[in-house]
Amino acid sequence: MASTLAEFIIDRAYSAVVSMDEHGLVTAWNPSAEATFGRGRDEAIGRPVAELIIPERLRTAHQEGLRRFLAVGEGPILDHRLEITALRADGTEFPVEFTISALRDGAAWSFHAFIRDISQRIEAERERERLVEELHRALRGSERRFEAIIGSLSDPVTIRDREHRFVYANPAAVAHLGFGSWEELRDTPPAAIMDQYTVSGEDGRDVRMEDIPSVRILRGEPAEPLLIRTVHRETGVQRWNLLKSAPLADEDGIVEATITIIEDVTEQTRAALQGAFLAEASALLASSLDYEQTLRNVAELAVPEVADWCAVDLIDEDGDRNSVAVAHVDPARLSLAQELREYQPARLDPEQGLGLVFRTGQSLLYPDIPDDLLAKGAVDERHLELLRAVGFRSALLVPVRVGERTLGALTLVSSDSGRVLDDFDRQLAEQVAARAAVAIENARLYSQRSSIARTLQRSLLPEQLPEIPGFQLASAYLPAMEGSLVGGDFYDAWSVGGRWMLIIGDVTGKGVDAAAMTALVRHTMRTASEFLTSPAELLARVDATLKQRPALSVCTALCLRLEEDRATLAVGGHPLPLYISGERVSTVGEHGPLLGAFADVAWRDIDVDLEPGSTLVAYTDGITDAVDGSGRRFGIERLCDALKDAGDRPAAEVIGRLVRALEVFQTGAHADDTAAVAVHRLPLAEALIDPSRDDSHATNGEDQDRRLAGAGHGQTD
Amino acid sequence: MVRPTEFKIRRTTTETNVTLLITGELDLSTVPVLAESIGRPADIAQTLTLDLSELSFMDSTGLRLLIELDQQARREDWKLSLIRPRHETAAAVLHSTGADAALPFEDAADR
Repeated sequence: MASTLAEFIIDRAYSAVVSMDEHGLVTAWNPSAEATFGRGRDEAIGRPVAELIIPERLRTAHQEGLRRFLAVGEGPILDHRLEITALRADGTEFPVEFTISALRDGAAWSFHAFIRDISQRIEAERERERLVEELHRALRGSERRFEAIIGSLSDPVTIRDREHRFVYANPAAVAHLGFGSWEELRDTPPAAIMDQYTVSGEDGRDVRMEDIPSVRILRGEPAEPLLIRTVHRETGVQRWNLLKSAPLADEDGIVEATITIIEDVTEQTRAALQGAFLAEASALLASSLDYEQTLRNVAELAVPEVADWCAVDLIDEDGDRNSVAVAHVDPARLSLAQELREYQPARLDPEQGLGLVFRTGQSLLYPDIPDDLLAKGAVDERHLELLRAVGFRSALLVPVRVGERTLGALTLVSSDSGRVLDDFDRQLAEQVAARAAVAIENARLYSQRSSIARTLQRSLLPEQLPEIPGFQLASAYLPAMEGSLVGGDFYDAWSVGGRWMLIIGDVTGKGVDAAAMTALVRHTMRTASEFLTSPAELLARVDATLKQRPALSVCTALCLRLEEDRATLAVGGHPLPLYISGERVSTVGEHGPLLGAFADVAWRDIDVDLEPGSTLVAYTDGITDAVDGSGRRFGIERLCDALKDAGDRPAAEVIGRLVRALEVFQTGAHADDTAAVAVHRLPLAEALIDPSRDDSHATNGEDQDRRLAGAGHGQTD
Repeated sequence: MVRPTEFKIRRTTTETNVTLLITGELDLSTVPVLAESIGRPADIAQTLTLDLSELSFMDSTGLRLLIELDQQARREDWKLSLIRPRHETAAAVLHSTGADAALPFEDAADR
């Protein structure tokens, strides 16, 4: 499921998305990557990233970085925006900007890079540098040539003296700064011009007069170009400007003035920020099936880049509104925003605000929110007070839709920043909403499916193992990692006619058919045990029943009969159980044929000598077949290692050791379902003297995906 | 994930016999590949030989496929021939399930 969502998002990503595994091999290559690197997906998948897109001289560093990350679990370049040279299929090199994230995927790491070709931007930068050069040359020449060049430039150019007053501004600069004429601009104090705007840098922090490149030059500091975001206090219009300044020195080399080119980069900066934001939001949404937490993360991400506060509401099956996330630029005011959200009734007015968005499925953009609109929307005095305190400048409500169905809405509000939300923001929010919708829908479907599977699985395992005098029982069932299918492993234990029967088995297959077969095998065993006492005969009965099924139905099973101090065992195609006594671990019993598979077969009863203080462990091959991150199998040796010395321990502890050893080995790698049952024969003294001893509770974490389930225990009564 | 040995099927066809030499691990992920590669044996040959001598691992899904093929061969009147795995892990599964005795196995050296 998660992979379908990820693919959906990756296929539509504006950036090139390239994923690789721990070995540096490409595992994902989206259409943008095909266009960027000039190489088709089929050609790229499975090949080393280094060969495809990294110039030869950088490959060693790449491999070294990967190796170091895998060794220490952290890498200096992860999650930062970086620029580097990349390689196209035709061998040409070009500059790119990229972020790379590492994701723990089971036992293995995977790496995901979002890459953008920035050759055009670099080219534009070079062009501007050439222009400034030319200006310098012109300034050294005649005044007239200077006027002719700068006056006709479409980019705003200003010259300021040592007191920061404007001594020259070309017509483009006059217009850009919002003045009707050069004279008007000249007569306005520089500080007053600055005060008309809130100015912040790329990192969102305020930019002050002394940070401006021209001012730094006059202080004798080097002045890198500075990217600033200005929001006009009155109109709320935001712009991104790149300020580039150079000193103008007289013959003695003393700086008399500064020249500044103001480049309006609003469009490309917002596009770049939008791309980066979408990539990050997409990665967040694809990262987890816990969509409520994911939506909270996306809301946090939207603040303050897109808006000053962001809320996510979902509609549940009954049509009620459910607030899942509120994020505010100022954490201290978060409670205000939250209190405000609670003011809205669960059932909304279908004619305005969220109610209207839910009803129509259309976005609503309120660029300006005058006070009377607040007053109209307020329920009471306190509500209006809250609305005013939050300080709405502008608001944007966007539906989260799957097809024609509206699942909820994103609310974005601009307040403190004073900027007006516009169509650009609406498009961005709609794209985030589209991705969120897919994430929510998939998570809902998945959780429904896996809860059905869990319920069914539970009904196939005994609620509790019976208590058997003189013995202690414990069991574990570890469902397959996917969680959405019923597995084929099962066990059961019951008492019949003064004897105790215990079975464990594995039907081949998964899902509904496996569930039906499991039920059939258990039912047949339990019923037949009323009149058949021999485990071998019970297996033969199940074999006959399975052969009556229309489709091939095969099953492994181990059947154990316990009577006071005797144990009898028959095995059909199942791993032999392990007998743990002191430090010795050995298999007991004898192999017999798989059930339901072959004609003319029979099974044999084997008596097992279960000494007091020893333990018998029966398990399914999910344990020995388990694979770790590098493809190795858990195997019988590791199993025996985990169990040696454990014979005299309580049954639950034996099972606990087994499960821990397996989990450490797999560390979250894909796992098939697995079952194990331990039968511990209590030492004679303990069985007689301390019948109430109960230290055998296996852990039973309902909330864990891989959990011990149906942990039962028995002791002397 | 890197598997110890890559799963590979090498096909040899004569007029009456199709032989598939299978290398690597036969499990939940590779059984469908083998099943597809076998197709409908009755249409193509009198004898289908699965050479498992290079098989390093087999799980219950792999075993199930062998049983199905055996039953299919009896029904459709063609011959299934199986070559025993040399690797202990794969051979152990056949032994412990009784498949070794019940299915038409031959030793690799017999050929």
